Amino acid sequence: MGKTFQKPEALADQVTHYCPGCTHGVIHRLIAEVIDELGIRGRTVGVAPVGCAVLMYNYFTFDFMEASHGRAPAQATGLKRVRPDLVVFTYQGDGDLASIGMAEIVHAANRGEKFTTIFVNNAVYGMTGGQMAPTTMPGQRTTTSPFGRKVEEVGMPIRVSELLASLATPGYITRQTVLKPKYINRAKKAVKKAFQYQLDNTCFSFVEFVSTCPTNWGLTPVEAIKWAEEKMLPYYPLGEMKTPEEA
Amino acid sequence: MGKVLMKGNEAIGEAAIRAGCLNYFAYPITPQSEVAEYLSRRLPEAGGVFLQGESEVAVSYMILGAAAVGERVFTTSSSPGISLMSEGISYMVGMELPAVFVNIMRGGPGLGGILPSQADYLQATKGIGHGDCRLLALAPASVQEAAEMVMMAFPLAEKYKNPVIVLGDGLIGQMMEPVEFPDHLATEPPNKDDWAVNGMDTRNSSRRNLLRSLYLDPEVLNQHNLNLRQKYERMKKEEIRFEAYNTETDYKALIVSYGTMSRVCRTAIDQLKAQGLEVGMIRPQTVFPFPEGAIEEAAEKESCEAVASIEMSMGQMVEDVQRSVKGKRPVSWFGKCGGEVPTPEEVIEFVKTIV
Amino acid sequence: MKTKSIQLEGIVIIAGNYGSGKTEISINLAIDRKNAGVAVRVADLDLVNPYFRTREARQLLSKLGIELALPPDELLQADLPILSPLISGMIRQPGQLALIDVGGDDAGATVLATLADAFAGRDYQMLQVVNPLRPNSDTISGCLNIRNEIEAAAKMTISGIVGNANLIDETTPEDIIRGYDFVKQLSDESGLPLHFITASVALLPEINLNRIACPVLAIRRQLVPPWKKADKI
Ligand SMILES: Cc1ncc(C[n+]2csc(CCOP(=O)(O)OP(=O)(O)O)c2C)c(N)n1
Ligand code: SF4
Ligand SMILES: [Mg+2]
Repeated sequence: MGKTFQKPEALADQVTHYCPGCTHGVIHRLIAEVIDELGIRGRTVGVAPVGCAVLMYNYFTFDFMEASHGRAPAQATGLKRVRPDLVVFTYQGDGDLASIGMAEIVHAANRGEKFTTIFVNNAVYGMTGGQMAPTTMPGQRTTTSPFGRKVEEVGMPIRVSELLASLATPGYITRQTVLKPKYINRAKKAVKKAFQYQLDNTCFSFVEFVSTCPTNWGLTPVEAIKWAEEKMLPYYPLGEMKTPEEA
Repeated sequence: MGKVLMKGNEAIGEAAIRAGCLNYFAYPITPQSEVAEYLSRRLPEAGGVFLQGESEVAVSYMILGAAAVGERVFTTSSSPGISLMSEGISYMVGMELPAVFVNIMRGGPGLGGILPSQADYLQATKGIGHGDCRLLALAPASVQEAAEMVMMAFPLAEKYKNPVIVLGDGLIGQMMEPVEFPDHLATEPPNKDDWAVNGMDTRNSSRRNLLRSLYLDPEVLNQHNLNLRQKYERMKKEEIRFEAYNTETDYKALIVSYGTMSRVCRTAIDQLKAQGLEVGMIRPQTVFPFPEGAIEEAAEKESCEAVASIEMSMGQMVEDVQRSVKGKRPVSWFGKCGGEVPTPEEVIEFVKTIV
Repeated sequence: MKTKSIQLEGIVIIAGNYGSGKTEISINLAIDRKNAGVAVRVADLDLVNPYFRTREARQLLSKLGIELALPPDELLQADLPILSPLISGMIRQPGQLALIDVGGDDAGATVLATLADAFAGRDYQMLQVVNPLRPNSDTISGCLNIRNEIEAAAKMTISGIVGNANLIDETTPEDIIRGYDFVKQLSDESGLPLHFITASVALLPEINLNRIACPVLAIRRQLVPPWKKADKI
């Protein structure tokens, strides 16, 4: 895999600010590779979240803009509606997308907006210091659930992909991960498929990544991967939840 | 095209199209839903984009997104909806994006009522969003002026790379008056390639554009705010608009009033004149920047004994009037806010108590 | 010259496009007919406009002995589309003349469809108010289009036309004559009778009534902004 070491054109020559073992960087790289392969760098606009990836535009070489916390899908709607020829994607964490921005993502998906969302589910609010997210696992300790997530008080974690897949509007909804090399190829295919649906003006496309946040989980990178595989993957199963062909 | 009879809200929608803005996102709220109803038919026919968003919060970011690619875009709402948009407005100021927001004000606080009010004056002129954030605020007093101000608002927003707010009250939106859309206000948008995130291919450039409002370095953020401040200062130099009424007389009192309220004051001034009492009026057409100089000068006239701020709010603009008059004359407030517009008789009665 | 008298009785629905002047006409027509000795009742069925509705003239109408069906007092200024049960009562027992002022366009006329049970088996007239100085009713095809939309929404049939050419205070006598010619043509092309046209009392003396073959309803404006006085009745 000599090619892995070659920097995609869509990726800037920059060292990222992410913690060791954080999956944000790998996901960025997949996006950059797909954009290169599809040859769409010159007409792509990325929308960055508020979360650990807030500065992600520093790592890419095409047009980018910030969003406010959770509103990236509304912004992408505005961009894409007035310039349908552009390729637009949002990149959002689980606090951003599944908590404060839940209305915006559900409605964008339901309108079938022709943009792509990359959703990074690391079961906590990474940026603000590891608080509980809507995706935090039952019993998981966070800085705002010091005794573990109590489902009788705050409910079960939200499975966003399943929720969006339940909408009657056609869409491409898939859950992937980059926890181990064996998952990466499939994940990249999913990202590419998502962008292709957008290019074909087919439907809204959405790729969830089951991710890690070793820093806030208080685990080593290796332990974090193990925890995500053992605790998260059974609850957040990988695979396509919905394709537009089904509808 | 000659004059047609239009409701304020329809004229606002049509004016935007005439001004070359074909993108509209909105969420329904009385008393301005007619704009969306009108444009839901008109925009598809004109080849534009009409979308009803899921909330005013979402709408403000749809506006932000559309403005970010460099397109003309606008929305309309009423008081509670503008509160929800205030976050998006602040981001737009921070990112230096042009767009037009129209607030057809209703009574508050909270749900308040659906009748006309001017109770969002301080919000529009001083507190529209968090951070050091100001918008040029235009205040129409007729359907004709509402149409013209909407048309003017787009180039003004582009000149300053800052949102512009058109501040009308419910009556401006709901009443019907003859209106004409002046051709000279139909302007071409400037080229926005130096900042718009419209894709590098669109600009034929290998340099990417980046839009942000996050500046973590305090010195850089301070400089950013100084730059924004410079724009606000320039607005104060170049954009102040007002109308003087009956100020050529030796008036004994000066009224400051805007929008619908100023129309009532005009009637009151005419009737007072017939009774032998001269009263002048300065009607701000921009409430930010505020016509401080004109008001100060008008208040200083020998014959003028007192100044009154007459508003459909509980004493908001009066703060700006006091600031302008600089203690040279007593300044008082008169108003109502809840939907009932003060009558000319009530204004007359009040003016008589201050001279 | 005296204008011809307007002939209308039973249930008369005043419909038309948004802002065509239905409410001002309902109020003035009610007063005109009342003065002619007819017992008149008026229903405010405008659920789409937040301001400038018949209810604004409720004191005047009740003083003149015109019965007005409205939502309950405490909800008069509510942002709610309230359909008062009084209205179906009025349809069932219209008396000599029951005027029903509906909101504009198909949206405003939709409420009529919910009253189908009350209307069942009853004669009614539905008049389309046309102001050719409004944007969507400035062409014959535009007016016919509005007619179709209203009929589809209301599930009822329009039976006649009322001409209401005006630019409020800026109306000229020529506007009235040109407006008359326009609605006359609309009447010819649609086969719908032209019931009457309107002109403000101030303009009436300046209008050559010989040019006009239908009755002219004199309008004394009641729906005025707060800085103006309503015309004296
Ligand atoms: C309106 C608003 N509320 C709160 C915040 C603070 N905030 C910044 S990031 C964040 C959570 C981010 O978590 P997530 O979306 O999961 O992203 P991660 O950092 O985990 O990648 C919060 C609450 C904000 N920036 N704006
Ligand atoms: S805090 Fe967590 S999500 Fe954020 S960069 Fe570090 S590991 Fe990644
Ligand atoms: Mg997270």
